[in-house]
Amino acid sequence: MADTPIPLEVRNIKKRFGDTEVLKGLSLEARKGDVITLIGASGSGKSTFLRCMNLLEQPDEGDLIVHGEEIRFKQTRHGREPADWKQVVRMRARLSMVFQSFNLWSHMTLLENIIEAPVHVLGKPKKEAIEHARALLERVGLTARADAYPAQMSGGQQQRGAIARALAMDPEVMLFDEPTSALDPELVGDVLKVMRDLADEGRTMVVVTHEMGFARDVSSQVIYLHQGLVEEAGPPQEVLVNPTSPRLKQFLAPKY
Amino acid sequence: MENLAWLNELLADNRIFTPQTIAYYWDGLVVTTQLVFLSLVAGLVLAIPLAIGRSSNRRWISLPIYVYTYVFRGTPLLIQLYIIYYGVVFFDGIQQTFLWPILREAFYPALIAFTLNTAAYTTEIFRGAIKATPRGEIEAAKAYGMSQGLMMRRIVLPSAFRRALPAYGNEVIFMLHASAIASVVTLMDLTGAARFVYARFYAPFEAFLFAAAIYLCLTFAILYFFRYLEKRLLAHLKPQGGN
Repeated sequence: MADTPIPLEVRNIKKRFGDTEVLKGLSLEARKGDVITLIGASGSGKSTFLRCMNLLEQPDEGDLIVHGEEIRFKQTRHGREPADWKQVVRMRARLSMVFQSFNLWSHMTLLENIIEAPVHVLGKPKKEAIEHARALLERVGLTARADAYPAQMSGGQQQRGAIARALAMDPEVMLFDEPTSALDPELVGDVLKVMRDLADEGRTMVVVTHEMGFARDVSSQVIYLHQGLVEEAGPPQEVLVNPTSPRLKQFLAPKY
Repeated sequence: MENLAWLNELLADNRIFTPQTIAYYWDGLVVTTQLVFLSLVAGLVLAIPLAIGRSSNRRWISLPIYVYTYVFRGTPLLIQLYIIYYGVVFFDGIQQTFLWPILREAFYPALIAFTLNTAAYTTEIFRGAIKATPRGEIEAAKAYGMSQGLMMRRIVLPSAFRRALPAYGNEVIFMLHASAIASVVTLMDLTGAARFVYARFYAPFEAFLFAAAIYLCLTFAILYFFRYLEKRLLAHLKPQGGN
């Protein structure tokens, strides 16, 4: 059996907004089953880095390889752009993203939100998509809310719904952009529990988070970013328990 | 029939609302309804692609559409109607084309003027609604691999139409009332019928109040229709009370 390609590989990503260079050459390799956590102070570039991975932001330099397929870029007057948007659409369908502010489509019910991309992007038969969606809703504990609109759900329910939407794509890699930052403290636990279950079943995940407990317990690798560069990286036992960089020590210190 | 006796009695010695004048009003109502309905449908069909183009980042697409909506929203509808109704004759050779039998009638120039006018307003209403699509929902659509076209069709337009509904309901009522000016180019719409009855009997209150009452009824019907649509289509914006 041939080796399965690495789900997601990014090399030497650089990105500037105007005069500010926010990413100064970042690389990452997510192998099957990896849970990679990106931590860092706000402004360290961790969310921008994640958004470069599915090209919601266009990196100015660097390579992006999804499932062994390298994304082709071209130079235009407005900077670097993907050469083939069809390739981008195909690659995005392999990476599902969960956003800080949920971003469920507000005019659709939760069930419609979940089957939307599988049916219209992947071309899955509707009946099959609905069955899958119901199973996912049960998994995230939202069976009763299938017909609710996002505005009728709590933040925690919306985020668990958004995770179900991400899972419905059968993604190779799930990207989480601060999934619990917009939630009330008492709702964070439910969402983290769902994410832990996903990690346990061997999902490949890249997670930007401030939840150090989650990072410590679940990740296979923790990357600490500072001003667009990797300051420290490694298994959580090393990075979080015995940090070497003074900045990371300060970042991890209790803040009261 | 018995219970209509009071009505017959009331109308017994009135010389204005005869079966003949009622027929004028009825014909006028039909013309008004046709004119407004057709121009709204045509305006809507035009406005959807125009609004998408108007929202484009490419200036060579959005600018011409902006000029069109600016001109049609920036000038009185009556002037637009005059230009189309009186102006077409001056295009050389138009009498010889297949268009002439259409443009000669007052109905079609009015329909064209109203369509272009409502299309301009509707384009701007939809553009505002498209621009107001939450950024996060667009990002989610992109992140889930939707192409521009699919995203427009499945995410942006369905949510924009819902947001535009209350403003569009106003535009429909506005068009109904604006259609009254069609009577100045000899069209026998509802207002035209009222003017005729007024001229015939020199009874301004009876003639125009009767027409006004019919407009009022039409407005009520439109209001209820849009209220029903909003109830059905805007349910998703209302948080559920209670829990």
